[in-house]
Amino acid sequence: MWRDTLLMVGKDLRIEARSRVALSQVAPFGVIALVLFAFALGPDRSPMAKAAPGLFWVAVLFSSVLAIQRSVSVESVDGARDGLRLSGLDPAGVFLGKTAAVAVQLLILEAILGVGVVLLYGARMNSVWLAVVACIAGTIGLAAAGTLYGALSAGMRVRETLLPFLLLPVVAPVLLAGTRIWQSALAGGIPSQGTPWVRLLIVFDAVYLALGVVVFGPIQESA
Amino acid sequence: MNYVIAGYSIVLGLLFLYTVQLIWRRRRLHRLVALAQSDAAAERRDEDGP
Amino acid sequence: MSPQSAKAQFPKAQSPKALWTTRIIGMAAVVSVAFTVWLGLWITPPDKTQGDLVRLVYLHPAVAWVALYLAFGLAAVASLLYLWPRTRSLFWDRLAAAAVEVGVVFNVCTLISGSIWGRPTWGVYWTWDARLTSTALLLILFLGYMALRRVPADPEVRAKRCAFAALFAAVDVPIVHFSVLWWKTLHQGATVLNPDLSPQIHGSMAWTLLLGFVALTLVFLWMLLVRYRIGYLQDQLGTGELDTAIRQRQAEGVVPAAGSEAPGTPVSVGSPLASVAQPVEAAPVSGVIR
Repeated sequence: MWRDTLLMVGKDLRIEARSRVALSQVAPFGVIALVLFAFALGPDRSPMAKAAPGLFWVAVLFSSVLAIQRSVSVESVDGARDGLRLSGLDPAGVFLGKTAAVAVQLLILEAILGVGVVLLYGARMNSVWLAVVACIAGTIGLAAAGTLYGALSAGMRVRETLLPFLLLPVVAPVLLAGTRIWQSALAGGIPSQGTPWVRLLIVFDAVYLALGVVVFGPIQESA
Repeated sequence: MNYVIAGYSIVLGLLFLYTVQLIWRRRRLHRLVALAQSDAAAERRDEDGP
Repeated sequence: MSPQSAKAQFPKAQSPKALWTTRIIGMAAVVSVAFTVWLGLWITPPDKTQGDLVRLVYLHPAVAWVALYLAFGLAAVASLLYLWPRTRSLFWDRLAAAAVEVGVVFNVCTLISGSIWGRPTWGVYWTWDARLTSTALLLILFLGYMALRRVPADPEVRAKRCAFAALFAAVDVPIVHFSVLWWKTLHQGATVLNPDLSPQIHGSMAWTLLLGFVALTLVFLWMLLVRYRIGYLQDQLGTGELDTAIRQRQAEGVVPAAGSEAPGTPVSVGSPLASVAQPVEAAPVSGVIR
């Protein structure tokens, strides 16, 4: 399974490296979201700084939908999905591989958005490591749940509109937890208040990773 | 008390409206089934006929 | 063999036992709801602290229980049973779909009744109370399931897809519950006094409360049975429903003077349709098509 995971990760990341879609389309989308939030919250930076954790995570959530759409659509051409099923790769490995690839892309995006939030909103970070932990834990969950829903909606023509509607409510806990942890990591926050939320994120990740490993095979067969 | 009456009427009203919708849908489907059955019966009669 | 009769599968008529069970449950539901309303609005006394507002307790927790636990729980279990190979049957899929749709209705009732109760109690129609928030999120999850169900697909493909979606959502529910709860209680600033919606209940109020639960459960059961039947009929008619509907339209405008061809029929979709364009001339036309 792990070998197949590495194969999938390598394939998806190599496709991304060659086509650079995530970098040239998803990342700018996230940045645009941040800019639009700034317009919405007014020229004065203090409401922005206060809302920065939430705005960051909302931008991440929306961008993750795009990233998942991309991850699903790379296999929708030329019968690649059937080829994948016939290849004999362990479906659990395929799932973990795709999840990991999306997670890597999202983490890079989050680094960019994190810098953006500090620069544009004037948010000041007290414990960066806590924010990083939140990003890693949250991203894994986002990628896992997203890959699952992406596989579920793979065969449908209405995928573009349906996927966000399906995915976003389910990952609401990631938004809640991530925002809380970032709030505790910013200047003026109490880092220890973020710890229970980190535990929640880990539970979320474990649940959706386990679910994906078990269920990805049967999903592929019905798509 | 106004709030109570509003609450009761909205909740029961919604449930009532949904009930009506369910009954209407079921009735419409029964009609379609009857129509489909009579058409199939007519076709079977044609098969046996000429 | 006419292509039409090869395609259409006729739904089994409901057994008299099933029909009467539904009717009896329906009547019991109406009676118990009426009784609950009578007791709740007139007979029971107002509360010491909440006054007349407490009367909403006979409806609100009951609809909430039906929506969140009964309907959603049933949908989740039914979806699991569909996914489990040994118990796989479209019965579970249809049951889940019926439970979700009825659950949505009850969920909306929960939110509205909670909101109406909240207005005089908290002063606002909406507040990010842990329970209201979780219920709203659950509604969105339910609606997502219904949207997924509308995507046209083979019955088995659709069933599997929806069952997985239900599973993913169900698994999320406890996580959502805890995160929203912590969101309210672990908040840095102390939350302003947020009066709970649960009053102390005794005596006649307790009985009415129980009756309310029973009544709304009966309502749910009736709705579930009817909605299941509707789903079953819809699935059985399948594409036949479109053909039948078109035929119905054409039958309305039939002028039985035309020749054996099917002249000027608006339908040129496929031979099964053309063969019954004019029911009176069915024999020669269907002969031509076949």
